[in-house]
This record gives sequence, C-alpha cells and structure tokens, in this order.
Amino acid sequence: MGYRNKKIVYGLYDDEEILMDAVRQANRSEMSILDVFSPFPVHGIDDLLDLSESRLHIGGFIYGMIGTLTAVLGMSWIHAMDWPNIFGGKPYWAIASFIPITFELTVLFAAIGMTVTFYIINGQGPGIKNPIVHPRISDDKFCIAFDADEASEEEISKYRSFFDQTGASFIETKKL
Amino acid sequence: MNQFKFEGKLKMTFLVMMLIGVVSLAITFIGDDAVHSRFWSNILHNSVFFTGIAMLALFMLCAKITAFSGWHTVFKRVWESYSLFLVVGLVLMLIVAVGLWGHWHHLYHWNDAEAVANDPILQGKSGFLNKGWYTFGTIAIMGVWILIAGRIRSLSKQEDQSGDSSFSYHRKMRIWAAAGLPILGFTSAAMIWQWVMSVDAHWYSTLFAWYNAASMMVAMVALTIICLIYLKSKGYLTQLNQEHLHDLGKYMFAFSIFWTYLWFSQYMLIWYGNIGEETIYFKERLDNYRFLFFLNLGINFFLPFFVLMRNDTKRKYGTLIFTSIFLILGHWLDFFLMLKPGILHTTQEALAHSGAVEHAGHAFTAGFSLPGFLEFGTMIGFLGLFLYAFFFNLSRANLVPTRDPYLMESVHHHV
Repeated sequence: MGYRNKKIVYGLYDDEEILMDAVRQANRSEMSILDVFSPFPVHGIDDLLDLSESRLHIGGFIYGMIGTLTAVLGMSWIHAMDWPNIFGGKPYWAIASFIPITFELTVLFAAIGMTVTFYIINGQGPGIKNPIVHPRISDDKFCIAFDADEASEEEISKYRSFFDQTGASFIETKKL
Repeated sequence: MNQFKFEGKLKMTFLVMMLIGVVSLAITFIGDDAVHSRFWSNILHNSVFFTGIAMLALFMLCAKITAFSGWHTVFKRVWESYSLFLVVGLVLMLIVAVGLWGHWHHLYHWNDAEAVANDPILQGKSGFLNKGWYTFGTIAIMGVWILIAGRIRSLSKQEDQSGDSSFSYHRKMRIWAAAGLPILGFTSAAMIWQWVMSVDAHWYSTLFAWYNAASMMVAMVALTIICLIYLKSKGYLTQLNQEHLHDLGKYMFAFSIFWTYLWFSQYMLIWYGNIGEETIYFKERLDNYRFLFFLNLGINFFLPFFVLMRNDTKRKYGTLIFTSIFLILGHWLDFFLMLKPGILHTTQEALAHSGAVEHAGHAFTAGFSLPGFLEFGTMIGFLGLFLYAFFFNLSRANLVPTRDPYLMESVHHHV
C-alpha cells in the first residue's frame, strides 16, 4: 500500500514478541496504528490489527474459471469446428485429450491474474518506486507506524512516548 | 482427561455394528451362487480397504517423524492406534489367502489351474501371481509393517514414561520411521498388485498402486477427522483446535485432487494408447457400471473440490464431517469398482465352466452391478471392527503424548 507523501511516526522493535505486546498496548489505549512492517509473517498479528481476510483468492477463482473456459472453448472451436483433424483415430471433439491443457491454462490464468492483481492493489510494479520506511524492516527489525499527517505536536509526542514505553529501539518522524 | 476410557455405550455400538456385519455376511453366504463369490468379494473388498487405511496411517506417521514435523503431535496417538489395526488386517487377509489354497473362492482368475494351463498370459505371470507368493507376501510384508508399527508405538509409549531432554526415544523412532518410508512405499505397491489389481489378471496399469494409495489416504484422513471431532465432542483432546483440523482438511482436499490426477492419468493414457488388452478395463466399467463410474468421480473429486476449496469450510465441523462421510463412502465405492467387475467375470467363467449355469453375460447381478444393503451391512461390520480396535488401542496409552519433544509446537500450532 503505497504511502506516498505521508508523514509518519514510527518505532523499530528488535523482537516480534515485543512488537506483539506493543500492538496490544496500542489497542488498549485506542491508538490507531497505520501499519506494521516485519521481515517475516508474524503469527497472530492479523487478529490483533483486526485485518480482514484477503479477497485475492476470489480473484484467483475467477481468473481460473476464465482460463478453463478459454481452453475448453478454444480447443473445441479449433479442433471440432474451425479445422477438424483426426488425431490417433479419436473423434474431433476428444474431450479427454483437452483436459491436461485445460488444467494448464487454468493454473496459468489464475497465477498470472493473481500476480498482476496483487501488484496493482499494492501499487507496485516495474519502474514504480515506493518509499521505504526503514531499510532494516526487511532485515531484522519490526516496525509500527502511526499516521502523523494531521497530527498535532501533542499527538506526535504521545506517539513518541508510546514507543519509549513499549521498548522501541529507534524512533523517528519522517515524511515518506 | 488424558486417558481415553473405552467402555459401555461405545463398545456396545461397535459390537452391534460388527453383529450387523456378521449377519450381512451370513445372509450373503446363504443366498449366494455356487462359489460364494459375493460373500468372498465383500470380505476381500472391506479387508483391503480397512487394511489400507491402517497402512496409510503408519505411512503418514513415518513421514511426519522423518520430516521433523510437529503439528500432528497432539493427536498422533490416533494414527498410532490406526496403524495397530494391521494386526487384524493380517488375519483378514490371511483368511482370503487360506481360501486360495482350499479353493474356497474364485476371486482370482490366476488361481484356476485349468485356466492358467490354457492361457499364455497367465502362464507368463504365474511367477508372481500364484498362491505361494500371495500368502508369503501377505505374511512377510504385513509382518514387517506390523513390526514397524509396533516399534513406533512402543517407543512412543516408553517416551511417555521416561522421556527426557536427550530425546533418545525420538531418535530411535526416527530410524524406524526413515526405514519404514521406502519399505512401506515399495511393498504396499506389491501388495496392491496382488490383492487388488490381479482380480483382472490379464490387465495391468503401472500407476495403479499410487492410485490405490491415494484412495486409501483420503479415506484415512477423512476417518481421522470424524474420529477427532467425536473425541473432541466428548471432552477429550482439549488442545486440539481448528488449526489442526484445517491442516487435515487441506490434506483431504489435496489428496482428493491427487487421486483425481491419477484416476484421470490412468484413464487418459489407456484411452489414448487404445490397446485392446488395456482398454478392456474401462470398456467393462463404462458399459456395465456407467452410473457408478461417474458417481465415483463426482463424489471423490467434484464434491471435495468445490466444498473444501474455501478457507472456512476446512475449519467448520459441519462441512468437514459432511465431506468426510462422503469421501469414506466414495473411496469405498472406488474399491468396489476396482474389484467387483473382475471378480464377477472370473466367477461367471468358473460357473459356466463347471456347467452349473450358462454364462450370465452382462445381466444385472446383485452385489456386483450395484452395492446392495448386504454390501453396506458388511462395510458397517468391518467399520465396527476397525473402530473397536482403534478405540481399544487408543485407551491403552495417554491420549496426548506428554513428553513428546514436539508437543508444545503442536499445541501452539497456527496456520
């Protein structure tokens, strides 16, 4: 999710357990977290952040169905209507021999469709540069970020003291 | 409640199920043809099916131990108890093997000396397809399976008593499991060729053994899900949760698709190759068993594929139990379709040969063309026997292995 031109306050944590505790603390004091970044998927954080289930797989099903139809209808039209040929003494419309290709195209359409959808939703892709919160969030640090676009000085200091209390090893206010 | 109590009502239920099976078998025997083919084919069908479930449980256990897997630990006693059914399975398969020597049944075409004498194909296969190998293979190979199952079980039980941080029992278990994987993989194929594939003695298919193993695997996981949900509903296995069932649901879904892949591969290669001695298998089934043939695909592929595709259907008891019941019946039907047409053919030849009756051809034959009440009754009997042995073995050890090094990983399992 491209956070371009956004002012944030973020803190880095050394361990995912400390991060989880900090998220719980933020939930208790009703501070709304903008996002959490981690080098690997942290189990249970989805529930804490109240994230809804991804709908990408519904897209995958639809793309797969499009692939199935493309393969079946395409081969049926080619082999039975447009240019009928006899292969190995089988009927023109030899459905059993279409199934492997139908399977392949289903997988191909679903895979490519889901990849492209994923990139579009996340605002990523070739040639697009996304701002990075901190280089070490893809290495060994865990990050919580708060939205500071319209935050007053008071709120920003509240966020900073939250990071202090929950054991963050690095705190910064930054415009992405 | 770390000790399962097997008593009273549950015991009675399984005994009644077994009684239903015995009564069904008796009625089948009385109303059967001269060579009792329906009676014997029902015994073979159910023996192979439930022995296969026990064997696949052992295979899964070996795979899990070898792969350092931990998530299943909380319910691993269930698979251990399944695998101990192999002892009963050996007895059941030996009944069929003894029948070969006494010529009590005509399940296998290759056991008919007169037929072999006039048949170059059967003569060529007689080095493998003979009653000596059948009996020896059943005893020796199943003996090795029972040995592996017994060792893993006893090491697991000893670990409960005196396991410590040196994990010595787990190390020993790993050796048995690592040896068990190739042994089970190769020998189960040989047993499936003899037990199942050789009812069509002329016909062969190279991927038949995997196809059977996939069928047994789905049935095994489905039965596991039902038993786990039952145990949970009775207040046992409190640490077992949706996460474990979700993973079992994934196994059921994935192996259903694997089964379909093999089912279709076998069909398509034979259809495309179009060699008479191979296509006869599918011609027979498509001409005379058309409804069952497509019902098999419907239950075992389309139903689990569309029901279990979504995330939450693998986490809810209702959908899991619904699919599991259908899959157990579906794969039981799959074995019905593998065995019965070949056995019917052998029987008809035997009957026609002895001059007892005319060759019946493709007329409707009760117990062969469609499974009847007696077939389902026999299945219930064998299921009762399997579950009795399972719950009996389950009650003889801690329900959750308290000192297994992977227990904590399993308790905190999160998909």
